[in-house]
Amino acid sequence: MTRLQDLTITDVRKGLLERKFSAFELAKYFFDYIAKRDKEIGAYLSLSKDEAFQQASKIDVHLAEGGELEPLAGVPIALKDNLLTEGEICTAGSKILENHISSYDASVVEKLRKQGAVILGKTNLDEFAMGSSTENSAFGPTKNPRDQERVPGGSSGGSAAAVADGLAVAALGSDTGGSIRQPAGFCGVVGLKPTYGRVSRFGLMAMASSLDQIGPIAKTVEDAEILFNAIKGKDKYDSTSFDIERESELKFEDLSGLTIGLPKEYFNPEIPGEIRDKGELEPEVKKAIEETVAALKTLKINFKEVSLPHTKYALPCYYIIMPAEVSTNLARFDGIRYGREKATDGRRQGLRDIYFDTRGKGFGEEAKRRIILGTFVLSSGYYDAYYKKAQKVRRLIKKDFENVFASGVDMLLAPTSPTLPFKLGERADDPISMYMADILTIPANLAGVPAISIPARKAGLPVGFQLIGKWNEEGRLLGLGKFYERVHETL
Amino acid sequence: MLDKKTLQRLAELSRIKIDGRKEEKFLGDFGKIIGYFEELKKVDTENVEPMSGGAELMNVSRKDDLDDELIGRGKAGFPEEQKGFLRIPGVFE
Repeated sequence: MTRLQDLTITDVRKGLLERKFSAFELAKYFFDYIAKRDKEIGAYLSLSKDEAFQQASKIDVHLAEGGELEPLAGVPIALKDNLLTEGEICTAGSKILENHISSYDASVVEKLRKQGAVILGKTNLDEFAMGSSTENSAFGPTKNPRDQERVPGGSSGGSAAAVADGLAVAALGSDTGGSIRQPAGFCGVVGLKPTYGRVSRFGLMAMASSLDQIGPIAKTVEDAEILFNAIKGKDKYDSTSFDIERESELKFEDLSGLTIGLPKEYFNPEIPGEIRDKGELEPEVKKAIEETVAALKTLKINFKEVSLPHTKYALPCYYIIMPAEVSTNLARFDGIRYGREKATDGRRQGLRDIYFDTRGKGFGEEAKRRIILGTFVLSSGYYDAYYKKAQKVRRLIKKDFENVFASGVDMLLAPTSPTLPFKLGERADDPISMYMADILTIPANLAGVPAISIPARKAGLPVGFQLIGKWNEEGRLLGLGKFYERVHETL
Repeated sequence: MLDKKTLQRLAELSRIKIDGRKEEKFLGDFGKIIGYFEELKKVDTENVEPMSGGAELMNVSRKDDLDDELIGRGKAGFPEEQKGFLRIPGVFE
């Protein structure tokens, strides 16, 4: 008998249709399991039981009356706590928003609810999605369910840990430089960062608006696909969102004509001296990826070594562009809107005091670091040397992808992270070594291409591999992912 | 390249208070991060247009209609309202 916490989205649908359980029973089971288990993992920041039970009951009634089931009917889903849900607290992992109540649903949340999803609660993250370990949350770290001495990755670490441990059937995260894929890789689940613009960002707390994308974290590629299809599409409230005419696909007979590029820069990252050891590929990661390639070769797929020569500049480029956008986006947290820090000495506060008190006490160290760094690269005298230069390098990085895809390569395969999940505390005090964790995921965000992380092995600490596709070709990435899972299952 | 004075100036511009004891740590970290930025100087970007967004799409526009729902959502983020206006502390003391 399958434990209910191991169910996939597809299983839930089947179980409901076969009357093996009701949506209400399922929701109840998950909340009980969370109450028992999440003390150890720390995946959730808040739960929304009332809403969840209401939604579940609605689905049970609908089903009893002979109604059709929506694609996500009764599916217990977790949301990263930077996605707004009306009337509920949304902290973004920051003290500055400890008591902030969202005034509306994010567009993706609205879509999930309409399709019957039962939203269990909000998951932990690095403050404002800034980090790669979820240690950076003002509310304490989340642990990796596969080894509780290790980090779950980040910043969507709570969502990835929840799915990996069965505390939710699937979840949503956000990915600015790897924040869906890296934790998915670290926790042994699937995570998709869609093409920039395919999913509306309305109601996602902005970190770096030209890089952020919302995407699914799930147990299987099929589930990730169901969730992606549920949230994608143009939204009038996000002018960068769009529809595409037809979703791409990959059939079994397409496999022998498929060429996958292995970008050499991703297997041997070039990093300046003193920080090199934090970004180099660990032998175990390398081995797992080689086994993945070998498994895919049994499907008669062609592999080819390729080069994206500007890859080594992606990390410094990202650490200019992202903080620049962070410094502007986080300017809105000023103590006037979204909660205020009260003066402790009883003095009457002027506007200036409110700004400094609220931001000084409310933001954590990494948020402050990035705001100041962003202010620096945008300031007069440095703008051309840093920000504008980075924007130009960003174009060259994008051009690398255009060139490689124009050369007959259909998609790229690479490790998701250079290392295995690291130990809690190991990198917490050294920002640059933390930044290195995203060295292989950042280029896709800069270029805006879709990328999916899929577990490369079942035993031992998780290793993820990523497939990086052409713009708008999520369908092909997911298609190949599904074939891989089938092969992997039989190995 | 980033000294204490510049850091204090940037903190002032960002409306952030930095704990005096943390200044040294901040400066050390910034030194390393900005040092890493110097890598970009090696890239030839002559005649390269800056890329300014995540996607390079056509401009999207819609009619500039009053959207009461949206206004309501925006206002809900403010703590105080008076006669249809948002109330904030005085700018001038």
